[in-house]
Order: sequence, then structure tokens, then C-alpha cells
Amino acid sequence: MDLFHAIFVDPFAQMISAPDLLAQTVWEGFVAGILYALIALGFVLIYKASGVFNFAQGIMMVFAALTLVGLNEKGVPAWIALALSVAVMYGLAVAIERLVLRPLVNQPDIILLMATLGITYFLIGFGELVFGGSPKSMITKQLYLPEGAINLHVLGGQVQLQKLDIAAAVIAMLMVAGLALFFQKTRIGRALRAVADDHQAALSVGISLNQIWVIVWFTAGVVALATGIFWGARSDVSFALQVVSLKALPVLILGGLTSVPGAIVGGLIIGIGEKLGEFYWGPLLGGGIESWLAYMIALVFLLFRPQGLFGEKIIERI
Amino acid sequence: MTGASDEILLDVENVSLSFGGVRAITDVSFDIRRGEIRAIIGPNGAGKTSMLNVINGFYHPQEGRITYRGRTRARMKPHEAARQGVARTFQNVALFKGMTTLDNIMTGRSLRMKRGLFWQALRHGPALAEEIEHRRVCEEIIDFLEIEHIRRTPVGALPYGLQKRVELGRALAMEPELLLLDEPMAGMNLEEKEDMSRFIVEAKLQRGMTVALIEHDIGVVMDLSDRVLVLEYGRRIADDVPDVVKADPKVIDAYLGVGH
Amino acid sequence: MFYREAGQYKTTYAADMAIFPIRQDRWGLALILFVAFVVIPTFGGPFLLNTMMIPFLVLSLAAIGLNLLTGYTGLLSLGTGAFMGVGAYACYKLATWFPQVNILVWIVASGFVSAAVGVLFGLPSLRIKGFYLAVATLAAQFFLQWGFARAPWLVNYNDSGAIEVPRATLFGVPVTGPSATPVTRYLVVLTLVSIMAWLASNIVHGRIGRIWMAVRDMDIAAQLIGIRLLNAKLLAFAVSSFTVGVAGALMVFLWLGAAEPEAFNINLSFEILFIIIIGGLGSIVGAFFGATIMHLMPIALRALPAMIGLPIEAARVEQLTFMITGILIIVVLIAEPHGLARLWQTAKQKLRVWPFPY
Repeated sequence: MDLFHAIFVDPFAQMISAPDLLAQTVWEGFVAGILYALIALGFVLIYKASGVFNFAQGIMMVFAALTLVGLNEKGVPAWIALALSVAVMYGLAVAIERLVLRPLVNQPDIILLMATLGITYFLIGFGELVFGGSPKSMITKQLYLPEGAINLHVLGGQVQLQKLDIAAAVIAMLMVAGLALFFQKTRIGRALRAVADDHQAALSVGISLNQIWVIVWFTAGVVALATGIFWGARSDVSFALQVVSLKALPVLILGGLTSVPGAIVGGLIIGIGEKLGEFYWGPLLGGGIESWLAYMIALVFLLFRPQGLFGEKIIERI
Repeated sequence: MTGASDEILLDVENVSLSFGGVRAITDVSFDIRRGEIRAIIGPNGAGKTSMLNVINGFYHPQEGRITYRGRTRARMKPHEAARQGVARTFQNVALFKGMTTLDNIMTGRSLRMKRGLFWQALRHGPALAEEIEHRRVCEEIIDFLEIEHIRRTPVGALPYGLQKRVELGRALAMEPELLLLDEPMAGMNLEEKEDMSRFIVEAKLQRGMTVALIEHDIGVVMDLSDRVLVLEYGRRIADDVPDVVKADPKVIDAYLGVGH
Repeated sequence: MFYREAGQYKTTYAADMAIFPIRQDRWGLALILFVAFVVIPTFGGPFLLNTMMIPFLVLSLAAIGLNLLTGYTGLLSLGTGAFMGVGAYACYKLATWFPQVNILVWIVASGFVSAAVGVLFGLPSLRIKGFYLAVATLAAQFFLQWGFARAPWLVNYNDSGAIEVPRATLFGVPVTGPSATPVTRYLVVLTLVSIMAWLASNIVHGRIGRIWMAVRDMDIAAQLIGIRLLNAKLLAFAVSSFTVGVAGALMVFLWLGAAEPEAFNINLSFEILFIIIIGGLGSIVGAFFGATIMHLMPIALRALPAMIGLPIEAARVEQLTFMITGILIIVVLIAEPHGLARLWQTAKQKLRVWPFPY
């Protein structure tokens, strides 16, 4: 009975009695969720256009952020470092297309997934070799990112919103909107959608797959850089972030591999769900449940809806 | 063709199947008698493959009844159908591509092999004896299908015609009562078709199997089969011995278009 | 020239079905076993045994376990490290509860605990597959690792929070704990790994192995020939986790001597996965090839440049190891998706007919 109380009554009583804490927790989860969603978004872009399950998306985020900070550390001015980082992500996209995707075209999905594991390890080793393995702090000030916090006096208490987090949320939304416009309005965007729908058809109307791949991987790289800046600003920039970035995977499962809205909704569900879980139920289990809660949410969800929230139902044919 | 008895092995009554509102089969009834070769023909999209999928439990019809060996069933899972003696080949060859011809055919014996993990892990005594016994059966099938030379070749590397043969071999290895063949001769040349026809007839005569086959080559169908079911748009339009079906104006319409 | 099978006729199916049907292969195996059981323990120093051979064998065994699941059954797992942990903690609990029972019994028994946990996390595999299942195994990885750190009961409430391997003997000779000599530990590991590799090889060459490969290559067709997918997959999870669990127990009891929860983290899972990618998916011998490369590379990176007077610092070695591992994986996947084991097969095939191309 005590256990029942502790699981099903107490946490909700706490939520009601201290709504400001609840709002604070939801906000923290919301921001984390947006960042998960952004990693998942880069992933969905690549999966849609090339059918590659890019395990390296999270590492691309860390690598991009590390490049930015590392270049600045070596004396390159912030804005030039930012431009150079974008260029590095382009170079990475070209290299991946030439050296990994092209030779592996038409291989089974699982082989391509494993190849992206190879990319993951290469980027970790390469990044640390060039920029050093010690954690670095993000150059928020040089990039004119806001600092400090806004204290809202609401709900009988106060809720603190970091300005940085607000900026992250705004930029994330702008990026999603920008990508949506890009897909709907531009010629390249339409070509990308054509490829996502049907590789053969896209080839037959004269779209070069190789070019498309470079573009999506580059786009995913830029998304990764933006994500990396904000995530790096919230903690340190180091490959320890890899474990955090893996949480984009349950997000994808929740949202469905091919759905951009799914990535966003999935990100928010996972982000808010794990913060609430940790804050209200975590103490029952000795804390730290954040490390696996996202996966468990996704796992339970999978059992009931294997195709994800927005994925299409799979009808097996033979 | 002779050899069919009057015993009804499989009875399909008023079966309808749809996928999210799209009708694949509408109110089809027919039966398969023990020991006959039963052909199912019809234009593309007539519901022939869906019918086979219903018979071996891969699809569950929304309406209708299926009676197999005297037992009517509500729902059956594919592996249960296999256990009750239904084997199947596929239009697009569903072999295990990473495995050799021999291993593929040996998988057909899985249900008949009983030794568990313990003996399997030791691979001595009963497990080895069992493996040898079934290997012998598979070698007979390999001889029968004349594929000795590709015994050790991974099937993914084989040409289409040979893959079809290996797939038939895997189905034969199950020693089924009812053998469902989905376009066993698609994409074959004349010689290969003759070989395949011979194998099917011998499966029936020597091994006592009942065969239901889908085939587009009308000549082959008329030569091989005892009775022919004709489907069009998921409905039955004819069902009789080949000579009668051949002369049926509805069938001619379906194949050549109305107003030929 | 010497690798010819001419004149070796097989008159029975039993001879043709042997795991090593060619006489030269059987000699080769006998030679390897002789070197492993006699030459290495006689002449090898502690460095060779402790730093190279024991870890190599333990990693090989874990890789064999993962290969049963991923290479043979086609179920990608990223939770190997955690399952090794289950084996290690189970062995520790059992060995401290019943210290009078021989430690080898507990090492094997811990495999059953790991198998049970593996089956539990394998249950979702009926409904989900491919990449989705990989994420489900990540759930196992993070959940179990969290559990190791949060349950002091697992390490009998000791102060360090780590497994501290007790001393145990076999026929009066210490096999675990600080007083066990490298040679003893090596021989124990070698014996267990050899036996388990032999059993695994038998399984994959028989009915169960064929069923697993059928599920891997085309699960729908496997169902239609009468295979129950859930049974086949759960059996793969069980046998795989058993093997991995024993490897975990060996790792802590006969190699490391102590282990914190962090020892079973996701990087260990990746390392084992990379061993089978490089060595060869769906190959028992490939696990040994892969483990050789993955384990020897960092050692070589440390030792070789130092020999020519250009020592590399430890952090650099680790970074280079990561980079080279990544490159190796991609190169292997491009050159031969079936890994070194397939290259070895091809080479043998060439040798068989040398000097003719066919």
C-alpha cells in the first residue's frame, strides 16, 4: 500500500502542491527535448534521402561543436571559426559520400548502419587527436548568445528560464521552419523529396543521387553544429556527450524514422517524460533513472505501436 | 492426369479478404482433392497469390471458412500450417540467401528433427545420427532435382531458374501433403519449364503430394492440371477440368479482353 | 601445394558433414591447439599471458556469443557489455554465497543467469526488428548498467562498490584471486573458451544454426516452413547471452580481478560488436580473428613506435585506436561485408586449386 502510494499518489500530490516546480521541470524537459529532437531531425533527413540509419548523427553534433571551440582555442576568431566549422561539415559530407556511401551502395541496411558506427569511432578518435580530449566550454559570449536567466513569478513561486535555453528553442523552431520551406519551395528540396519517395524515379528524371547525399549529409551536419552549440553551452563540449546524443534513438522510435513532426513530438515526449520521471519517481529507485528511462519509454511504446507515432503501418507482403 | 481421389483435402468456402477497404478476394469457394494437381489462373491482380496466402495462414480472411483435412479452422499461423503439412514456394523466390543449397533444403527438414540444444551442441550420438538420416533424404531430393553441382553454393549467387528449383527442393523436403506453388515457371525458358513440369508431376505421382499451382503459361496449366480455378478481380469466374475451362467464353474474355 | 584435398574421398555423409572436412584443416587445428595448450604456457611470460592471451580469449568468447545473435540470427545487439556484467555479478554472488563449491561451476552457472536476463530483453524481438531492436538492446545496456551501480547488494555492500574476486582453488591450485599464476588462469580460460567455441560451432552447423540463419535471411519464409519465430529468436538470445555471460564472468574472475560497474559500459558493447564486424558476421573463427585485431592493435600502437624510439603517449594511443577501428570497420565492410573470416575462406579456396585460378 505504501508502495502504491509512493508511485501513484505522492508524485501527483507533489506536482499539485508545488506547481512552480512542476513548471520548472517541464521546461527543463522541454529544452532537453528540443535538443533531442534536433539530433533526431538530422537523422530523419539522412534516413529519408538515403535510407541510411546514421548512428553517427550524435557524434557529428559533438564533432561539430568541438571543431568550433577547438578552432577558437587555436586563435581563430569566433565567427570565422563558425564559418570554418560549417565548411568542415561540408567536407565531412563529401568525404562520407565518396569514401563510405558510394562504395557501399546497394548493401543491406544493417551493413550501412555498421558503417556509420565506423564513422562514429573515427570521428571520436580524429576529433580528440586534433583538438585534444579534455572537456571544453562553448564560446557562448563570442557568438553573442544570451546569458543569464529570466525569473518568472508565477504559480505561487518562481520559474527560472535560462535565456540560452529560450534562444535554443527559438533557433530550433526557426531551423525546422527553414527546413520545411527548403523542402517545399526550392528545387533541391523538391528533388530531395523525390529521392525519398522513390530512388529509381529520382534517377530517371536526372537527379544525381551522389549530389543529393552530399546535400543531406551537409544539411544534417549544419543541424548538428547548431545543436552542438546549444548543447555544448549547457554542459561541456566533449565526447562524453555521446551518451546523451544516443537518446535521439528512442526519440526516433517514438516519432517514426521518416517523420519530421514525429522527431519533434518524440523529442518533446522523451525530454519532458524523462525529466518528470527523474524528478518525481527517480528518488524511489535511488535516482539516476534518466540514464535509461528514455529507452524504456520507447521500448514499451514499441510493443504497442512498432511503426512509431507518425510512421506508416507496415503491411508485410510476400 | 489421373491419380486424384474423391477425398477433399482442402475446402475453401465463401472466403473474402480485404486490406483496409481494398477487396482482394470476394466470396470465393473451391476445393482441392487429395492427389490432384489444381491450377489457379487469372490475370494479374486477380487474387491468386492472396488465395495461397489465405490457405497457408499468412493472411486471415474476414469472411468464409477453410476446412483442411476435415478440420475447419478459424485462424491459423503460418508455422502451424507448415506443421499440418502445407508447403509453399513463392513468386519472387523466398530462399535463405546466405545459406547453401544443401542448408536451404535441410531447413525444410527442421520440423522433422527432434534433437534439442543439448545433443545439437555435442553433435554426437543421436544428434549426428539424426543429421545423417535427414541429410540422406535431402541428397535424394538434390539428385531428383538434378542440382548436385550447386550443393555447396550460397543460393544468393545462383541464377533465378536454379533458385526456383532449390525452393521447390526445400518445399519437397518438408514432405508436405499439400504443396502450394506460386508461379514455379515464371521467367524460365522452354527447357527449364519442361524440367519443372516433370518435377511437379513426379512430386504428385511418386511422392503422393497434392499440388495447387499458380501459373501464367496456359499451355503448361492445361497439360499439367486436373482441374483449373479461374479468378478475375478476386472472384471465381470458372472452375472445371482444363478442356471445359479453355472453352469458357468468360475465361476467354478475361484473358483477351471483352470483344476480342 | 600442400593444401590439397585430392585423394581424400568422403564415403559417408558423416565424414562430409564434419566441421573440418579437409585433412589439412584438422592438422592445422591440432597444431593451433598444441601451441595454445603446450607451447604458450611453457614459454610465455606474464605479459604475453596476462596482457595478450587471456583478454584475447575472453573477448573472443564474448564475440562468439554476440555472433550467435547478430551474425547468425540477424538480431543486432548493443547490450553485450551489460550482459557480460550480468554474468560477472551473478558469478560473484554465487561464489560468495557458496564458497565451498568450485568456482568453475559458478562461472558456468552465471551463464544461465545471463541467459535468463537475455531472454527477458529478447521478448520484444517478436514485434520489433532491425534497428528498432538495436535500440531495445540499448535499453538493456543502460538499465542494467544503472542497476549494477545502484544495488550495493550485488557486491555484498563492500566499500569499493566493485567486484573483488575471492581466492578460489581447483585441485588445490589457486585459479582466481591475487595468488593465481598467469599460467593457471590462462589454461583455465583457454579450456573453457575452447570447449564453448566447439559447442557453439556444433550448434551453428546443425538444425538450430540453420533455423537461426533462416530467421536472419528471411523471417517470413522461415515461418512458412514451420519455424516459430519467437522460439527461435529467444533461443538465440538465451544461448548468446549464456556465452556472453560466461565471458563476463571470466573477464572479471580470471582477467581483471576486480571490476566496477563502469567496466560493462556501452564501449565494451561496441568493442565486441566491432570484433564480429571485422572478424566476420556469422563465423565462429571470425570472432578469434576480430579479437586478435581489436585487442592487439592498441598494444601494437603502444609497443611498436616505442621500439623505434618514437613512443606515443597513452591518450594518443587511445585516439589512434578509435580512428583506426573506425577506418577498419569501413574498409572491411567495403572490401568484404562478411569480414576476415570470408577472406580467409576465399584464400583457402584459392590455395586449394593453386596455381590454377579455378
